[in-house]
Amino acid sequence: MYPPKLEAIISLFESLPEVERRETLVSYADNAKKQEPRPGEVFILEDVRKDEECADTVGVYLQVDDQGKAHFRMTLGPEVQTLTRAMTAILCKGLDRRTPQEVLELPSDFVTRIVGAELVRVRSQTIYYVLTRIKGICKVYLDRQRMAEVA
Amino acid sequence: MNTTSTQFAHPEALVDADWLEKHLTDDGVRIVESNEDILLYDTGHIPGAVHIDWRTDLQDPVIRDYIAPDKFAELCSRNGITPDTTCIFYGDKANWWACYALWAFRLFGHEKVKILNGGRDKWKADGRPMTREVPKYPGTNYPVPNRRFDKEIRAFADEALAQSKAGKPLIDVRSPGEYKGEITHMPEYPQEGVLRGGHIPGAKSVPWKTATNEDSTFKSAGELAKIYLDGCGLKPGTDTVVYCRIGERSSHTWFVLTYLLGLENVRNYDGSWTEWGNKVAAPIERG
Repeated sequence: MYPPKLEAIISLFESLPEVERRETLVSYADNAKKQEPRPGEVFILEDVRKDEECADTVGVYLQVDDQGKAHFRMTLGPEVQTLTRAMTAILCKGLDRRTPQEVLELPSDFVTRIVGAELVRVRSQTIYYVLTRIKGICKVYLDRQRMAEVA
Repeated sequence: MNTTSTQFAHPEALVDADWLEKHLTDDGVRIVESNEDILLYDTGHIPGAVHIDWRTDLQDPVIRDYIAPDKFAELCSRNGITPDTTCIFYGDKANWWACYALWAFRLFGHEKVKILNGGRDKWKADGRPMTREVPKYPGTNYPVPNRRFDKEIRAFADEALAQSKAGKPLIDVRSPGEYKGEITHMPEYPQEGVLRGGHIPGAKSVPWKTATNEDSTFKSAGELAKIYLDGCGLKPGTDTVVYCRIGERSSHTWFVLTYLLGLENVRNYDGSWTEWGNKVAAPIERG
């Protein structure tokens, strides 16, 4: 149902007691910076903006290789919350090398399985924000592909 | 303490980072971090600080209310706090949740409370020590408070309505857009389930941020007096009610009015706009 890398991450989190789940989320959040674009990388789409749903600017960068597989990079402003940082690292890793269509069709119910019920509250709804942004850039890519095909 | 805080009505309620860094391990002091970012404490905190979560530690898990007195005693006991412990609160968002936690401690009658001026952001920006080590303190037997000080420092919806009808001071600390009814959520935040926008009739708009400097420290006593005493006409002894959306930003203003300006009879309407904006037939002004 989920991409294998993401499924493995979900299974890991579901196996962890609450304290270790928090530690692992923090560890992923620490690694969010590694998802930033690297020198020389070129992207087919870039979407950098600040929305009302998030406390700071979030940038999403998409590259699609010649096999049609997506690769994501992300930039996060300093005010972005820890859970959002964690989800950034998790999704960039878990969705790597899936097609944009697969990403777009991904259900969002796995997010609470990773984060756990205790950490989901109204003011932490931004845990869904990163997935929404990643799906958004995939939709733009697919829309452009379709337009190019009919043009 | 810093020089500006000595002009405050209760300078003892503020500590600055220089002072705290020298007193991290003092007996009788407990540093308490309280944040909006649920995992922020886990990413690093002031050495020796314990974490108190505004939702899971201070609020009842079912009813929209605070924990019962016996739960408060348990919370303090497991964090090594006694009635004589001086709790120094700090956190993110310029100390919103630190002030909220401090106010909740006052609800249960804990008197020795202070705020770290500038909060977590300034401490970190100054390059002061942080750790991920979670401290363990010997448990205490904090006595169960025999009452909660709701009447003194907390306002309920009917009391906010009475305040409005009587023309007594009501301070709306939300953003101007929320006050005017143009938006029903904080800028940059998700909608938290409010059906109507606007403000309580007669409330004055003084956003919480008016009380702080860019580095999240509080403005000087003179500046605060100009804003709240000269600008809003607040007077010592007059009943004043402050509110926001869920009571955390207004806790910040409650701290300013109560401890920094020394006003008495200031109450925090913690039901705030998420209650008022959903309440059937509650009067609302816009613009």
